[in-house]
Amino acid sequence: MANGTWTNRRARGGYQLSLVVLFVLAVALVLIGKAQSSLFDRARAHVTDWMAPGLEVVHKPFDAVSNWWNSLGDTMAVHDENVRLKAENARLKQWQTYAVVLQARVKRYQLLLHAVPDPSLSSVLAHVIGRARRPFLETMILDAGKAEGVKPGQAVIDTRGMIGRIFLAGEHTSWVILLSDLNSRIPVISEPGHAQAILTGDNAKAPALETLAQGAQVHEGDQVVSSGDGGILPPGLPIGTVIADGKSFRVALLADPASTQDVEVVDFKNPVEIPAAPTAKDLPVTAAGLPPAAPPPPPAGNAPTTPPLIVPAPPKPQATVAEKPKPAPQQPPATDDDTDNQ
Amino acid sequence: MEHVSTLMGSRVFASVIPVTLALLGVVIANLPISFLGGFVPAPLLGLMPIYFWGLVRPDLMPPFWAFAAGVLEDVLSGGPPGVWTVSFIVTFALIDRQRDAFAGLAGVWAILGFATAATLCCATAYTVEALLYWRIPPFAPVMSELAMSVIFYVLVAMFLGLIHRRLVGPLRGDF
Repeated sequence: MANGTWTNRRARGGYQLSLVVLFVLAVALVLIGKAQSSLFDRARAHVTDWMAPGLEVVHKPFDAVSNWWNSLGDTMAVHDENVRLKAENARLKQWQTYAVVLQARVKRYQLLLHAVPDPSLSSVLAHVIGRARRPFLETMILDAGKAEGVKPGQAVIDTRGMIGRIFLAGEHTSWVILLSDLNSRIPVISEPGHAQAILTGDNAKAPALETLAQGAQVHEGDQVVSSGDGGILPPGLPIGTVIADGKSFRVALLADPASTQDVEVVDFKNPVEIPAAPTAKDLPVTAAGLPPAAPPPPPAGNAPTTPPLIVPAPPKPQATVAEKPKPAPQQPPATDDDTDNQ
Repeated sequence: MEHVSTLMGSRVFASVIPVTLALLGVVIANLPISFLGGFVPAPLLGLMPIYFWGLVRPDLMPPFWAFAAGVLEDVLSGGPPGVWTVSFIVTFALIDRQRDAFAGLAGVWAILGFATAATLCCATAYTVEALLYWRIPPFAPVMSELAMSVIFYVLVAMFLGLIHRRLVGPLRGDF
C-alpha cells in the first residue's frame, strides 16, 4: 500500500500549473460535449464495433452467471409461481379469444369507414452482447447497427414489452438507453383513463410517471403504453403497470433488461397518405368558370400521354426485416369483472 | 553500450506500467459485461493506479495521464463527455496537494485515504452531472460505485504494491 517508504522527489503541489491547464481543458470538454456530442458518439461507436466480436464470445459465461444469480430467488418459489402461472394462463386464454373477436370487428369497422391504415412496423432481431450499469447511465449493447437498418431513436422491445430506445448506432453495434436510465424520457398513455404522461427514468428500477394534463386520472394498476407522440416511437407498445409511490406514480416495467438475451429493434413508419387524384373540377381554372387548358402536345418519342399527378415515394429498402402487424393494445376493452360476467 | 540501452529499455518499460494499468483499469471497469445481473456497479478501477502511483511515484503518474484516463472513462462509459475527466483531475489535485498526508498512511488508514479521494471523485462527477442536466441525480448508484471502489481497493492495492515492488521499483532502480 501507499505507505510512504519511497522518498518523494516532487514537492507537494508540484503539478499546480499543469493541473490548472488540464482542469480548464476538462471543463471545456464538458461544455463541448454538451453542445456537440457527435465526436464522442462516433468514437464510442467505433470502439464498440471493434470490440463486438470479443464481447460476443466473452459475454456468454458472464450471462450464465448473471442468469443463475437472477434465478436464485425464483427457484425458492417455483411451486407457487407454477400455480399462479397456470391460473394466469387460463385467464389469458379467455382474453385471447375475446381479443381475436374484437380485432376482427375493428378491421371490419376500419374497412367500412375507409380509415387510415395502421402504421407498418418492421423489426430487426438483435442479440444483447453487453450491459453496463454506471451511476449515471444504464445501457445495453446490441449486435445490430446501421448495416442492419438500425437507427437512433428506434424502440427496443423484448417479448414482454419495451426496454428502451437506440441512442447510438455504429456500423454493426448499437447502444440502447434503457427506460430506467436517467436520461430517458418517452411519451406514454395510461389506460383505461387515456391520461397522457411522460415516463421519466431516474436510474430507479421503476421509472417515474409525470402526468402532463391537469386533472388526468391515473390509478394504480393502469396499463402504460407508448403514446406515439412525436412520431418516433410506435403507439401502443406495452411498457408496464402503474404503481403508487407516495403521492406520485411509477411504472413497474414488463421487460427485464437484466435478463433478456434477444430483442427486437422496431422500425416504425407512418403510412404514406395518398390523397385521391384531383379531378378536372378541382382545378382552380375550372372552379373559376374557365375552360381547362389543353394539355401540351407530347414530345416526339414515347412519353406517356397523361403523367400521374402524384407519384408515391418508393419504399426504402430494409435489411433483414420482417413485416409484422402493429401489436395489439395491451389493455383489453373490458375489465376482469366484465369478462366474468360474459 | 548494450548495458546502457538495456537499462534505458527497462526504465521505459517500468515507467509505462503505472499508466498502462490505469488505462487498463478503465477498460476493464467499462467492459459491458455485468456480474450478478448488474446488481452491483463496476468499481473505479482506473482511479486506483492513479491514486497509488500518484502518491508513491508521482513522476510516473503525471496529471496528463489522469486526464487521459478520464477521457477514456468518458468515451467507454457512454455517459456525457467530460464528467469523469473533470472528476479525475480534481481528485489528482487533491492527491497532489495532500501527498504528504496520504503517503504516510498505512493499513486501514491507507484504505480510508483512498476512500477520501474516491469520495471526492464521485462527488465531483455527481455535481457535474447535476449541473449538466440541471436536476438532482439519484444518490444510491453513485454511493454503490463508491462503496465498490473502496472494497475493491483492498485487493487492488495489494496487487499494485506487488507490481511496484517486483517490476516498477527494480527496473527503475533509482529509489
